[in-house]
Amino acid sequence: MNAAELKSRVVPFLMSGARRGSLDADLEALGGDRDHALLNALSLAGQALRFTQPAQPAEYAMETWPHDERPILPQAMRAHILRLLDRCTEDTARALALALEAKRLRPHPFDLPKLEGLVRKHADRLGVTAQYWAQRETSSSAPRGYFDAVELNAETWTEATPRIRAKFLREMRKRDPKGARLLLEKTWNAEDADNRAQLIATLQTGLSADDKGFLETIRKDRAARVRTTVQRFLAALSGSAAENPSLAACMERIERSKSGLLKKKQALKLELPATVKEHEAAGWIQEQFAGVTITELARACEVADCEALVDGAMKDENLLFALALMATREKRFDLLGTIADELPDAWGKMSDSNFEDASLYDSAERAQWAQAILRPKKWLPPLPFPAWSWLHRQLEGPLPANVMREVLQSKAWTTQLQEEKKPGTELVQVLCALCPPELRNFLRGQIEPLPADRNDKGLMLLEILESLEKTA
Amino acid sequence: MAPISLEKIEAIAPDQASLLAARKLVKPSGWSGLSCDDAGLIWGECQGSGSSPYRVVASEVDAGYKCTCPSRKFPCKHSLALMWMRSEGKIAFAAAQAPEWVQEWTRRRRPGAGTAGKDDSASALALKNLADAAAPVAEEVDPKAEARAAAARDRNRREREEAILGGLDDLDRWIADQIDNGLAAFAVNAGKLCRPIAQRLVDAKASGLASRVDGLPARLYALPEQARSTAALEQLGQLHLLAEAYRRQESLSSELRADVRREGGWTQSREALLTEEGTLTVSGTWRVLATLSEVQPDRLRRLESWLWRDDSAEGPRAAVLIDFVPVAGGPTRPAYQPGEKLGATLVFYPSARPLRTLVKEVTTTAEVTTSAEECMVDFRLPDKPLAAAMDEYEDALAAVPWLSTWPIAFGAAQLKRNGETLFLTSSDGVGPALPLAATQSCNAAPLLALESFDGFGLWNGHLFRPCFAQTALGRWVAE
Repeated sequence: MNAAELKSRVVPFLMSGARRGSLDADLEALGGDRDHALLNALSLAGQALRFTQPAQPAEYAMETWPHDERPILPQAMRAHILRLLDRCTEDTARALALALEAKRLRPHPFDLPKLEGLVRKHADRLGVTAQYWAQRETSSSAPRGYFDAVELNAETWTEATPRIRAKFLREMRKRDPKGARLLLEKTWNAEDADNRAQLIATLQTGLSADDKGFLETIRKDRAARVRTTVQRFLAALSGSAAENPSLAACMERIERSKSGLLKKKQALKLELPATVKEHEAAGWIQEQFAGVTITELARACEVADCEALVDGAMKDENLLFALALMATREKRFDLLGTIADELPDAWGKMSDSNFEDASLYDSAERAQWAQAILRPKKWLPPLPFPAWSWLHRQLEGPLPANVMREVLQSKAWTTQLQEEKKPGTELVQVLCALCPPELRNFLRGQIEPLPADRNDKGLMLLEILESLEKTA
Repeated sequence: MAPISLEKIEAIAPDQASLLAARKLVKPSGWSGLSCDDAGLIWGECQGSGSSPYRVVASEVDAGYKCTCPSRKFPCKHSLALMWMRSEGKIAFAAAQAPEWVQEWTRRRRPGAGTAGKDDSASALALKNLADAAAPVAEEVDPKAEARAAAARDRNRREREEAILGGLDDLDRWIADQIDNGLAAFAVNAGKLCRPIAQRLVDAKASGLASRVDGLPARLYALPEQARSTAALEQLGQLHLLAEAYRRQESLSSELRADVRREGGWTQSREALLTEEGTLTVSGTWRVLATLSEVQPDRLRRLESWLWRDDSAEGPRAAVLIDFVPVAGGPTRPAYQPGEKLGATLVFYPSARPLRTLVKEVTTTAEVTTSAEECMVDFRLPDKPLAAAMDEYEDALAAVPWLSTWPIAFGAAQLKRNGETLFLTSSDGVGPALPLAATQSCNAAPLLALESFDGFGLWNGHLFRPCFAQTALGRWVAE
């Protein structure tokens, strides 16, 4: 019996069971009693199978790895980065992704499986190979290109990721509001709800009566987030409170009175519904005032201007917070500064309310916003980590140096460095992520005395960011 | 002597917590007597929580270490910190003669380890001490007691041989029962069916076969469902082959007999192998291409370091160092890391296809090359097509029919995808296509982007485990 016969006759016999089949004639040739012959047949068949080399499949899938023009990050940094990303916070990962994007470097392709978390969340900052990797398991029915050009234009802007596209439109709105709107109109019906919500918000830049026609056509969009934004823009353009049901709803909750002894002035107070609990207040206010502009609110409250509106709300934290949200959306940093002087925790409340609109600013505006809203000298300890994480998410980069210096000198932070209240590694990491280059040594000096389990990731992040910045 | 690199320290640390703890000790304040000698030994005393300081010694030759602390982690934080301080070079180590407790440690270590660079006087000291240690023992030997002990050893050996043969008969009966029931059904219930016979083989003192049977279900379940029944047939066939070979061992060559007896559960001590005459000994520059760490059903962790010899002189080019440590508290990874190269003399366990080895002597310290260029210039895998490498596997299989894992080194190969499965094939598409285990797919997926690479991996007859690749993008190493 040869190998082919063993495979064709003996293997099926052994598989189905010796009780059911019969190979008596063949077994006799293997010698010994029946059991022994069966065992010999088993060993021979097994060895015959073992010598069968696996054959080529009929076909292979076509691999379409994109060509990535970005250089791979320096070899010496690979191990450090893998060590940093092992059980680090999301802020550290984000800071690293931003640094790689700024230097237009990409992770080594062999590290992609180990950087799964980073790649999934920040693929659009890490180059086309990372984008390909992040999408390799998505359904082939929804393929998407991989685009990583330094400069987008009117032809290529649809190929980039939503975040990059929104940035492109916002920049274009500054130069050519009409052209940018026409680009958006062309692709509007093909966009999904998330993209529509992100892209429509870009019309805030350079909003004018020319946009009204387009806004009217999408007033009844399927996505509630889009409808709210469109409503706010239309109300801002029309200047009439009657056209804005959100404003009417807000006005029902605002009490107006007069206060002062020598000079009477308007005093405004926001009454929260009894069903809204204290920890839900920030979220409720954020939702309630999402479709209202600060100018139309001032008009509805019958005060002279926006400054007077803020002045009237000084005694009411809830209304001040609502105004801080509106000032942020409308980039009224002058008003925001005034509000933050009175309500230094406005940014903390914003983080509680899941407010994300600040991410629409460009880098210069984000720096202005941070300078306006952060008042480190007025903060009281402790510093809640989620708010810091939110802040880094909004800024997508470090704090302005003067603000960070105040943060590092603030009582709220220095108290945490004392022996009995050492900050957790999460807080250390996010502060390192927020630290601009010129203050890294200062921060290092503060966190080095901390225990290694608190400062190791932070120190590692600072070192890696510096190395990346020095990379040619 | 070059200090142990930080990468190496990181590699041998049992976990991240140990590194963090060690980092706290990387300062001179907690240490006294930090010293080194010209043989690559560093030592010092670290004040811990105990009343007396812990004595810590490490060898820069092979990253060996010893600490008197009661930690169950190996290496402990004190050993790591000592190596770390030395590696950073910020803290001075005084040149000194090794104190008695350091010498004692070097004497107790496995022969040859840590002896690189020792001058003659140090070697002479070691020999003198060994002689001293041996002399009093010789005086205390009682010939009658010795004879009684030898007789007892012989009796135990005979009893064990009989027990194993009895176990093999039971094994054959059990396999015949499985054949009667049909092997297609066996694969489904392998876990339940194998446990009793594995236990019976343990009772019969055939521990090697017991481990093989105990691990059989896991090996089957690692395969795609459609491949399990044929794999079960192959595995049971190998068990019978082993049983038959054990019964007829007197008719086998000495090498194959050694293989059979080892599979049966007879062990050869490290000392016996190193002192035995006629063992296969190969010197050369060895490259660590893979390190594996797997927990066995008997709660031991099996640590493997796969080595490849740089030169193509006669003798085996592949070798594997295997250690077994308890799962609780032992090191979690081998002492070497992929990419390291070391000059060493290895002693192979006798076998028809020698593979398992021991380090007899380290002649040059381990070092790692990292950059892509360095990696390509410094080391090249043999430029051998995958088909030729598989022919070598078949030769080995013919020599050792129960062979389980075989190292495959190949040139000009490519990874391709068919459905969810990755296949290793030659870049010209000719020859075999070795499927990869699903657990390896994600890690190996970046290799799909390459048109050709050289590599090294382990083939178990069903699945290929890629371990190391030399590519245009640099070195790829499996996790």
